[in-house]
Order: sequence, then structure tokens, then C-alpha cells
Amino acid sequence: MKIFKKLGLSLLGVMLAIPVVQAADDELIVYSGRSDKFVKPVIKQFTQETGIKVVLHSAKSTALLNKLKVEGERTRADLYLSNDAGNLQLGSDMGLFQALPKAVTDVIELKLRAADNSWVGLSARARVLVANSGVDTSFVKSVFDLADPRLKDRIAVTHSGNGSFIAGVTVYMEAAGVEKTRSWLKGVKDNVGGRTFDKHSKVVKAVASGKRSVGLVNHYYIYRHLDKKPDAPIKVIVPDQGDGEMGVAWNVAGIAISKYSQRSAAAVKFVEYLVSEKGQQLFAEANREYPARQGVAASVEIPAVDSIRASSVEMAELGKQRNATIDLLEAVGMP
Amino acid sequence: MAAIPLLFVVYSSLQLSSERWLGLWDTRLPDLLANTVWLGFVVAIGCLVLGVSSAWLIARRQFAGRTVAIWLMVLPLAIPTYVFAYIYTSLLADDGWLGLAWVAVFGDLIAMPDIYTGWGAAFILSLAGFSYVFLLARTSLMQSSPSMEEAARMQGASPFEAFWRVQLPLLRPALAAALAVVVLHVLSDFGAVSMLQYQTFTLSIYTQMEGRMDNQAAAGLSLVLVMMSLTFLVLERFFRNRQRYFSSSRARRFQARQATGRELVLIWACLGLIALFSFVLPLVWVLHWSWQAWRAELIGTEFWDYTRNSLLLGFMAASVTVIIALPVALYHARIRSWLSSCYLHLSSVGFVLPGPVVALGVITFVLTQMPLLYGGLVVLLMALVVRFLPLAVQSQEAALQQLTPSIEQAGRVLGAGPLENLWRVTLPMIRGGMVTAWVLVFIDVLKELPATLILRPIGYDTLPVRIWIESSEEMLELAAPAALMLILGTLPALWIMMRAERGR
Repeated sequence: MKIFKKLGLSLLGVMLAIPVVQAADDELIVYSGRSDKFVKPVIKQFTQETGIKVVLHSAKSTALLNKLKVEGERTRADLYLSNDAGNLQLGSDMGLFQALPKAVTDVIELKLRAADNSWVGLSARARVLVANSGVDTSFVKSVFDLADPRLKDRIAVTHSGNGSFIAGVTVYMEAAGVEKTRSWLKGVKDNVGGRTFDKHSKVVKAVASGKRSVGLVNHYYIYRHLDKKPDAPIKVIVPDQGDGEMGVAWNVAGIAISKYSQRSAAAVKFVEYLVSEKGQQLFAEANREYPARQGVAASVEIPAVDSIRASSVEMAELGKQRNATIDLLEAVGMP
Repeated sequence: MAAIPLLFVVYSSLQLSSERWLGLWDTRLPDLLANTVWLGFVVAIGCLVLGVSSAWLIARRQFAGRTVAIWLMVLPLAIPTYVFAYIYTSLLADDGWLGLAWVAVFGDLIAMPDIYTGWGAAFILSLAGFSYVFLLARTSLMQSSPSMEEAARMQGASPFEAFWRVQLPLLRPALAAALAVVVLHVLSDFGAVSMLQYQTFTLSIYTQMEGRMDNQAAAGLSLVLVMMSLTFLVLERFFRNRQRYFSSSRARRFQARQATGRELVLIWACLGLIALFSFVLPLVWVLHWSWQAWRAELIGTEFWDYTRNSLLLGFMAASVTVIIALPVALYHARIRSWLSSCYLHLSSVGFVLPGPVVALGVITFVLTQMPLLYGGLVVLLMALVVRFLPLAVQSQEAALQQLTPSIEQAGRVLGAGPLENLWRVTLPMIRGGMVTAWVLVFIDVLKELPATLILRPIGYDTLPVRIWIESSEEMLELAAPAALMLILGTLPALWIMMRAERGR
């Protein structure tokens, strides 16, 4: 039994010697479904300016929402940050958030936040098409052209469990109707060439390598690819811009304050900072998204915000219609 | 305690109406069932082939570099399936090393194998799991007495026949135990199947929870999954129970023969190929990207915090699990009854339940029953113990089964009380099994992601959590160092296990 004792004693010593890292009481705790890397710059600046520390507790957006719901009033989270407006709206519908002061949210246009101020959008991204510039894709002007038989086995999309994909389909469903979307999905299913991709970056890669001609992605993935390979033969098509067409699908990343936050004054300060001009710039720039606050400049590489027309579908619909969208995807048997 | 998540699952699925059950049945269940069973079956075969062949070569021949070979066969255990899948998807991409090599060799003649298929998932899970078979088969081969094989040879059996008809049946308990571990890992795997988009039960349960926030449908599917694995376990037990072998400690040990030159080449060609794909290639990849990160000065002090958090968690969870598992194993190894089997199988439920389901079950239980504990490490520890209890029970029980009851009886005859007997006779004799159990749980806890992701205390990031965070945004340079630390972290544990084995 010697080995047990030795092992036990030595490791027990180690355990006692190191304190368990945990958030202190004066720190703001953010349940974050957004990549740390894109949130840290703005947090660093906020802490520098106000002295309030912020701890990121990252996991999947939906898992965190589930956690928030189960925890109820015992949650230690002060804020909930998600990349998907749908999740924010679901949380709001479940009554997990408290209303933000009107003065704070007023700077963001109504379309990009909850009507009852329970959450506010921070940065927006466009669902655009990426095309291989060596292939003739001049007939592709709309997302709905992805179902064109000429593109058989030539399009790349993520699998239908992807949150951005679902959000996009919700927008098309709202803007163009269920039936049109259903037949479009069927066409897309025929055109994907037997497989979908598990990541947007791989969609861009497949288009750049010529394996596929057109892909459907969030705009920033294209620029991320160009960072690594500036000569990649790809171009951006902003779809559905013609007169009377629905416009490009938007989704926003946003934030809400937990209903049971013990530090809501500090939490409001944080949100205030995030919607301030400086905070907006830092937050959106980190991932080259469009700042939700009008008048704040986006990254110069991406298409200027006034050059593109976004669909008029309200962000809150992304949450309300999500299950209907998943039902549709399942009925079609979208991979 | 092990039943908490199960109760949660049963309770939640009771709220599913019969219509929704029918809906689930129509749309998903048949496919999921077929996919999951197929995957389990193929991976079991793959692990058997890889594990038994390598164990046999190493146990039966003396050759240069044998110790290295043993290590190479065990080290894949240090790599989580999601890291495996991640590495292979990028290696097999057009601009990945294997992709480039493939095009260089075959050109456009033969299309590169698509890893996003059931076969791809089976390949990855076999590489990640065969070490379990190797470990148990090798121990069993080393301990088996040579007399049986010699008797068979004397009766005129060819070496292959002797292996097939004598050795393999003798290996059966060990193989059954190892395969049980492998198949349970496959059933509960999320990392590989999610990355390769192969629809199994576990993946579908995640989708229900993630996409729809539909915990009831998730619970319903979990229940089916649990039924499936219980059926499998009962079958496995049935096959194992028909025979019991006791080894007596006085038997001669096998003397491994010196390998001839030609054999040496063959052995290394075979083991080398297995090691190349299961460990060397992934390790080189991880080292390459870690080096990139190092040069770009991306590695900060926080990596040490993550490592420490992981090791600490692994140590605590493994210790608690082994202690809790001992009575269960003892009970079942000594008293065969309906109740003891029931208890045993109940303890294995946690292993196949998907991490988020276990996590939600534990949260719900703790919040309603002992809310003061909430928010600390205790909750996470509970979930991990629930998840990995069966591993500890399995290997401790295997050790107990090989212990001839007469030794314990002798102890009692000589006047030791039950407790003294346990402390001075049984525990020292199953020490090897206990150490193995500890190490297996430690390694699995170190690699565990889904439950840790949800239940870790605020600010308590572990290595897998970091790997997940960084790789979800394709930050290879940041994910690789964490994976490297994970591999390094398991080394001492594996070393302890190998030492304990040699000591036997």
C-alpha cells in the first residue's frame, strides 16, 4: 500500500499548496458564447478605464442559456453575451434578463435590439456569398440562385445544425415565405454534392481551391481567409440587392443583463461602454463586423455599410421562428 | 448518486407526449440506431485487430525497443477524440500534409479518402480506443500460464491454431472488458462524430439541446441510448460470465522468445505503422503548431493555470471515483445476485449519457437538494464521478475476478476480520487493478469536455476547454499548445500505471 500513501500524500500536498482560481466577488461575470479573442480587447480597455474587472465564462451560447435557465436566481452570471440574436431573444422570452435603461439602448436602432430592451445588439454580420473568381458565376445574384441546377455539385454550405445557417434560413423564410424557402432548400440539398461542411472557414477554403464555385458564409470568414492567403481567387457577392429584393440577411451579436445579477450597476456600465463609440469600434473591429451603432466606422476592408441593403426582418424573429426553421430543415432532410 | 442523471432523464422524458415520441421515431430513431450500432461494431473490430495483434507481438517476442513499443501503443490514450478528429481533418485537407502527400503519390488518379463519413469516424475512434484492448490483452497474455499453449502444441496444433483455439478464448474476459470500455466510449463520443458530422445518438442529443433547446427530446433520446448500452453490457456480462478463469500466482510466467532479424523488421513495420497514425503523426502536428505559437509569443503564463486546473481536477476526480467504485466492484465480484448486477449496471449509466445531460441532471439535483454547494468544484466533481465510475468499476472488478477466492478464504481462516482481510490481503493483491482504474479515470477526466464546459466554476478553465474555445475559431496556434500540455500531463499517470504493471 506504500505507493498509494506516497502518491496520495504528495498530491494532497500539491492540492493544498495551490489555491483554486475562482472569480472574486467584485468582478463582473459574463457568460459568453463569443470567441474570447474577439471580446478580450474591449474588456481590457473597459477595465483600464473603469477599474471594473470582467471574467469571461465561455461555452456554447445555447448551453450557457440552458445553464442560466436551470440556475435561475442562483446564477452568478451578470451578463449573457451571444453571437446569435436568436439566443438572446429566446433568453428574453424565458424571462432570464432585466431591461436595460432606455438611455443606454437608444443609440442602437430598434431593428437591432429587443423591443422591450431586454437585450441589445452590438455588432452585425452579413450572410454573403463567396465565389471563385476563376469561374463564371455572373448569374448568381441572390441567395436563391444557390438552388440553380447550373450549380449542381458546385456549392458549399455548412451543415444545417450551424447556428448562422439556421438564422439565415429564418430570415429567408420570413422575407420570402415558407414555400419558396422549402423548394430552395430542396434545390440546395441537390447542389451540395453529397456533403456539407462543419465550419465556415472550410466553405471558404473549398471555394478558394476551386472544389466548389460558390459558398454561403458570414462576411468576415472571407477576410479571415484573405489574411492568410491574400492572393486567394475569391470574391464577395452581396446577394439580393436588386430593387424589390429582400436584401442581405443580417444577424447580430448582442448582450443582456441577467435578471438575477447582484452587480447590475456595474453591468449597466459595461453595456454602456460596449455601445459607446469607442467600445463599438473595438468590439466590431476585432472580428471585422459592422458596429451596431450608426455612424461608427467599420473595418475598411469590408463593403461599406451604406453600400449594402440589409433585409428588414427584425432580429427578435430569429429567436421566435427558430424552431419553425429547424422543423422546415428537418422536413426537407437538409444534411 | 450515479442514478441522479438517470432520474433526470426518466423524469424529463416522461414529459414527452406519445405524439412527440412517435415523431422522434419517424424522423430519426431508425437511422440513428443503425448509425450508432454500425459505428460501435466497426470500431470494436478495428480496436480488436489493432490491440490484440500489437499486444501479442509485444508479449510473445523479445526485441530491441520493446519498451518504446509498449509506450507507443499506450500513448494514444493521451489524445482526446476531438483533437484526433481535428488533426486528421486538417491533415487530410487539400493543403494538409497527408492531402499533399496523397496528391504527390497518386496524383488525380485516386480520389483522396473522404474522412467525413462513417468510416472516417470509425478510423479515428479506433485509433483513439485500441490502447484499451492492447493494455488488457497484454496483461492477460503475460499472466497466462504457458502450459495450456504447450499442451495444445503437443497435441499437434499449429501455432496459429494454438492461438486461435486456446489463447484467444483465454483472453476472452480481458477482451470483453476492454471492448466494453471501447464501445462505451464510442456510444458517448461527441468530439469525433460532431467534427465529422456522423449522426449518432449522442450527436443528435446535442443537436436537440443546442439547436432547439429541447431538453425533453434530448432526454428521450438519451433514454434510448441508455437502454441500448445496458443491453450491450448485459450481453457482454453474459458472455463473460460463462467462463471464469483464476490464475494462481505460482504458475510459470511466459518467457518471451527472442525475435529473429526478419521478425524484428516485421514487428516494427507493423507496430510502427500503428504508432505512426495513432500517435507520431498527431504529436508531430501538435509540436509543429505549438512551435509556431511559441515563435509568435502567443503562449502566456495562463497556460500554466489551465494545466494546473486540469491536473488538479483529474487528480481529485480519479481518487474519489476509485474509492467509490471499490465497494461496487467488491460487491459484484463476490456476490452474484440480481441486486449486485443491477447496482453494477446502474453505475455504468453515467458513462453513456451525454455530458450535457449529466451536467444538467447534476445541476438540477444540486440546486434543489443542496444549493449551498453550487458554484464550486464539488458539482463538477460529482458529474465527473458519475460519468467515469464504470471505468473504475470495470477494471477493479477485472482484477478482483482474477484473484482466487481461496486466498481471501485463507486470510479469514488465519483469523483476519473482514476489514483487516480487505486491507491486508485483497487490496494489496488488486493494487495493480486499482492503479489502472485510477489512471484510466484520470486520463478520461483530463480529456473530458462537455460536462466540464458547462459545470466548471467561473474562471476555472481547463486544457480541453481552451482547446475547444480556440479551435472553434480555427486558432490552431492556440489550440495546439493546450493539446501538447494535455499529452504531457497524462505521461506521469501512464508511467505510474506501467510501473505498477511491471511490479506485478
